[in-house]
Amino acid sequence: METLGPDEIIVERALSGDADAFGEIVRRWERRIFALTYGMLGREEDARDATQETFLAAFRNLRGFRGDAKVSSWLHRIAVNQCLTRQRRAKVRNEAALDDDEERANSFAAPVDYSPARVAEGRQRTAAVRVALNSLPLELRQVVVMKEFEELTFREISEALDLPLSTVKSRLYTGLKQLQMRLAKFG
Amino acid sequence: MSDRENFSTCEHADDLVSVLYGEANERERRDFELHLTQCGDCRAEFAAFAQVRESIGEWRDEALTGFVSSHLASAQVKKSAMAALRQFFDLSPLWMKGAVGFAVVVFCVLATVALMRLQSVEEASPLATVNPDVVYTEQDLKRAVDEAVAKQQREQPVINIEPPTTPPSTFKRANVAKAEPKGRRPFSKAEREQLAAELRLLSSDDDVDLDVLEDRINKQRQR
Repeated sequence: METLGPDEIIVERALSGDADAFGEIVRRWERRIFALTYGMLGREEDARDATQETFLAAFRNLRGFRGDAKVSSWLHRIAVNQCLTRQRRAKVRNEAALDDDEERANSFAAPVDYSPARVAEGRQRTAAVRVALNSLPLELRQVVVMKEFEELTFREISEALDLPLSTVKSRLYTGLKQLQMRLAKFG
Repeated sequence: MSDRENFSTCEHADDLVSVLYGEANERERRDFELHLTQCGDCRAEFAAFAQVRESIGEWRDEALTGFVSSHLASAQVKKSAMAALRQFFDLSPLWMKGAVGFAVVVFCVLATVALMRLQSVEEASPLATVNPDVVYTEQDLKRAVDEAVAKQQREQPVINIEPPTTPPSTFKRANVAKAEPKGRRPFSKAEREQLAAELRLLSSDDDVDLDVLEDRINKQRQR
């Protein structure tokens, strides 16, 4: 399977009935899609489910894949849609839980709540980052996650999101600035 | 673009991001580094963004370290049947191990006994099934033999032979005649002798003996 070639050829093989071909697509992109969903959703369980649903949706809509877009861009779009769907459902179902997270992250901003233990401090900081990232507007969060979690280049992000390169950079700048401000509140 | 209208303090924002992520070319990087020496806002922002990136990186590493490919996960699931069994025995108390071991031994013994009994029943003759403890008298034996003979006779196919309508002597002759193949006549004595001579089955001495013998018989009959 190591000589399968570009993603587009593998998709063609999957369309022609090669059962292993789509598995190769999953192997290639699973980690990055998980990184994307994790960054977008902030919870490992949700990210795993969203990753799985992304590949299931991709497999179901394999015939709808047009060769004019990259497989990676196609998968990213599906993954982002999965994340948005999950967030909408979660917001309706369990809005209180998200509020609890935010309160917990906010609470450690106060110096009296600051744990002296460095480990606990690190955990609180990652929790704060997660909450801060989740609170970003979607268009900013999407770019930050694709850059920080998937480690895509500006050009890859612009192709995946079908945005100009300058817009990607400005969104990333704004996203980082908002994160900086939110995290500054946490100390 | 309104994304950074509230934050942009400098026109070098795009360059800042490019340098921050290492995607600026050599000339852009050199120009921005020169700008940093002259712009305190950009210098502070660059340091703050680097700090944010570090925080995100810690969270990302923590998150992705725990990631296991679904293929690897499924492989682990496939192995886990035996592993779970082994783990069950490892974790179960001593009395449970003993009970399971005893149950296995009992099961094996019972299965072996059942198998042996099954084989012995298949191989045994009908007489072997008779209870050896019972003592049979001579009358019992005779009755059993009679019953067996009667049973055998009943089981033999019935041959319908029509009762003879002619006297027994005629019947015998008629039967003999019927037994002879059609178109064949029994040889006369002269013919038999001639045939024997031609086939050299009888020597001349034998002929004499035969004559003597025949004569004796004839003589006896004549008497």
